[in-house]
Amino acid sequence: MTEPLLSVRDLKKHYPIRKGVFNRQVGAARAVDGISFDIAPGETLGLVGESGCGKSTAASSVIRLEEPTAGEVVFNGNGREGAARTPDGTHPNDVTRFDDDELKAFRRGAQMIFQDPSSSFDPRMSVGNAVGELLKVHGMSDRHRRRAIVEDLLERVGLSANDFDRYPHEFSGGQKQRIALARALVLNPDLIIADEPVSALDVSIQAEILSLIDDLQEEFGLSLLFISHDMSVIRQICDRVAVMYLGEIVEIGPVEGIFSDPQHPYTEALLSSIPTPDPRASVGGIELKGTVPSPTNPPSGCRFHTRCHKVIQPEGVDVDQDDWRGLLNFRDSVVAGEIDVEQVRENVAAGETAPAESEVRAELRREFDIGETVDDPDLERTLSEAIGLLLQDDDERAGEILSNAITTPCAQTEPARTVHGPDHESACLRHEGRASAEPNPADD
Amino acid sequence: MATEKPERFDQVDWNDLSRSGRFDLSVNALGMLATAIPLVLLGLYEWQFLGRRTATFEFVGLERNLETIDYFFVFTLLLFVWFLVLPLLQNPRMTRYYWEEFKRNRPAVVSLVWLGIVFVGGLLGPLLVSAPQQDLLVAYQPPVFTSVVDTTPATCVGEVIEGRCHGTWQHPFGTTQGGKDVFTMIIYGMTVTMQIAFITTTIVAAIGISFGTLSAYAGGWVDEVMMRFVDIILSFPTFLMFLLILYIYGAGLGMFIVVFSILGWGGTARYVRSKSLSISEEEFIQASRISGASTYRVIRGHVVPNVASSIITQLTLLIPGFLLAEAQLAFLGIGDSSVPSWGQLISAGRSDLSFAPWIVLAPGIVLFLTILAFNFLGDALLDALNPEAEAENG
Repeated sequence: MTEPLLSVRDLKKHYPIRKGVFNRQVGAARAVDGISFDIAPGETLGLVGESGCGKSTAASSVIRLEEPTAGEVVFNGNGREGAARTPDGTHPNDVTRFDDDELKAFRRGAQMIFQDPSSSFDPRMSVGNAVGELLKVHGMSDRHRRRAIVEDLLERVGLSANDFDRYPHEFSGGQKQRIALARALVLNPDLIIADEPVSALDVSIQAEILSLIDDLQEEFGLSLLFISHDMSVIRQICDRVAVMYLGEIVEIGPVEGIFSDPQHPYTEALLSSIPTPDPRASVGGIELKGTVPSPTNPPSGCRFHTRCHKVIQPEGVDVDQDDWRGLLNFRDSVVAGEIDVEQVRENVAAGETAPAESEVRAELRREFDIGETVDDPDLERTLSEAIGLLLQDDDERAGEILSNAITTPCAQTEPARTVHGPDHESACLRHEGRASAEPNPADD
Repeated sequence: MATEKPERFDQVDWNDLSRSGRFDLSVNALGMLATAIPLVLLGLYEWQFLGRRTATFEFVGLERNLETIDYFFVFTLLLFVWFLVLPLLQNPRMTRYYWEEFKRNRPAVVSLVWLGIVFVGGLLGPLLVSAPQQDLLVAYQPPVFTSVVDTTPATCVGEVIEGRCHGTWQHPFGTTQGGKDVFTMIIYGMTVTMQIAFITTTIVAAIGISFGTLSAYAGGWVDEVMMRFVDIILSFPTFLMFLLILYIYGAGLGMFIVVFSILGWGGTARYVRSKSLSISEEEFIQASRISGASTYRVIRGHVVPNVASSIITQLTLLIPGFLLAEAQLAFLGIGDSSVPSWGQLISAGRSDLSFAPWIVLAPGIVLFLTILAFNFLGDALLDALNPEAEAENG
């Protein structure tokens, strides 16, 4: 097995939350909570997920713009290939343990492209100097030599040498992103981390930049960690994809595998969000309700279970999947005390006198997408009883009986990684029982 | 091959380069050094080898003497030339862009011209025009185009028509009770004005920027302590402090400048701190950090220039305060009456206001116009240097 260029193991980045006079730590936002992946030389790995799932934090921890809390980032480029682990278990190429000199050298091996082209350049510095600054920082004091290299590079990314003396405000967003690419390239790195490099651009310009990245990658044998929330962009440029949810990687695998045969419900939901040119196509329509839960207090078990449309029903229960999701949501809302019965009554009444109880019951069911009757008689009885208690303003008791009756294994067991094909893994309880992935398969 | 074709970025051997280029001074720094070293040497020479009464340039046969404050003035002028004027010339594109933005504001352009006149007058005037001489015979001459009752001036230099003495071009702004030419005194006052403007700005900017950026970057309790110190500076009664020093040591212009600027940087430091905090969140700062640049280089290369362009405005608006303070102190009779400032001139004409108002009015109007000009300039600079507007237009 060839050595990966970048090998991330169990990387964590927790932001402490401090409170009080003594700044005592009361908790932590677990932005990145134990992710692992490898990038082979010349390969593009996509990191995809919705906003707030920790993609960007993962990137800045990998490149050590922020200090990771725990974990290991082994970077084997930049002439550091083939190093073996030391007897005490640490790796000599572990970026998180680099000292200042090693870190500076590492900067020549890994660079980054930022999301917002308008703020990623100093407005008071000509773009030529902004690109040349990296050469200067790394010891090239010859001004003319810097200029020659940067001018050549500007032409390579599709601008002209005359642009050297122009200022960021004289360029469009797409042009600035080309310059950002030049800046990332100028030290001839082995790895470029691109943090949503095209999401601030028009679609037509996106395509140009993507193909430029593709060309440059091919020409200089770059590895790419490409972060995006846009599955269609990922499909265009990546070799492999890692899908992230709430600080964890839920599925990782080759692009074709993930797109044709997604294994994790979250991946399915993401894929269904890609617009298709055919208006009659029946694909899509998986709607994720609610927002990403707070990373300070992530859900137990599988972190996706609060929003999953394929959440597992306990043994002996077999109801309609939509009803099941609705029941779980209903339970969570009742427990959280979010249901305002008075409000529901008012909505139903719409100006008339007090509505019949049955109407209120129906309205509550509609609100949570629960069918008129639930297939399972026990559950149906519990539900009716809970709604009844709710209507009598006994929220606490209602929450109690719902919590006792409606449970899912997803909330109790943390899913292990299962293997679905070559290099294709996911973490979902529905696949439990298949051969689970051996720990850290790439870590020979 | 490398000599024929331009070198490509992927052909650089970094291991060769890593340790070179530690002392890579810019043209600006070299120019500053080349001009400041002679100045320092001259100062040392005067301090060590010349008597108090010997003129500085006696060794080349010139009568001219340099006071301590003149050394500081020349030094700040050198800073101004090498780090403000020269960079503007070095980056013609940026300069043209700023100028386009700036000249939209007509009053500011007029102000700039006026301040240019005061600047050049203050710089060259004393070299071209000899110092005003006391001559009681020509006391109370009226300004040109005006006339006073014949009995006011001792002898009338101009024509006396129907018992009224008319002003002449010989004394365009009239003369004082001592017969000194008001116009000449205003020109000498320009030097004082420019000295106050340049030296205070330099001191305030130097302390404010270093204190503010340091506080922003240190963070934690260091930040806390530094900002509480700023609170103390801001609430410090500068005027009383100045009076105290005045009664103990006596106070010339130099002391005024030092006391008022050393206690006047609080607002600037606070502004710089908040500005640096917001700038250090920008992606270009992260991009610079990721390039491997040291914190010092990031601050020096990106944070300070971006802060500086916005505090130029704030500093410009600070100058009128110092000028007014000087004039007020002079008017109250506090301060060194031998300093030929506009305030002193106003103060000198105070008792003659009823029959010779020009002694107060001429410097008063000039002072008023200068302060107005600084305010207009500050506003226009704010618009011209505003980076947010740039981003939106771009």
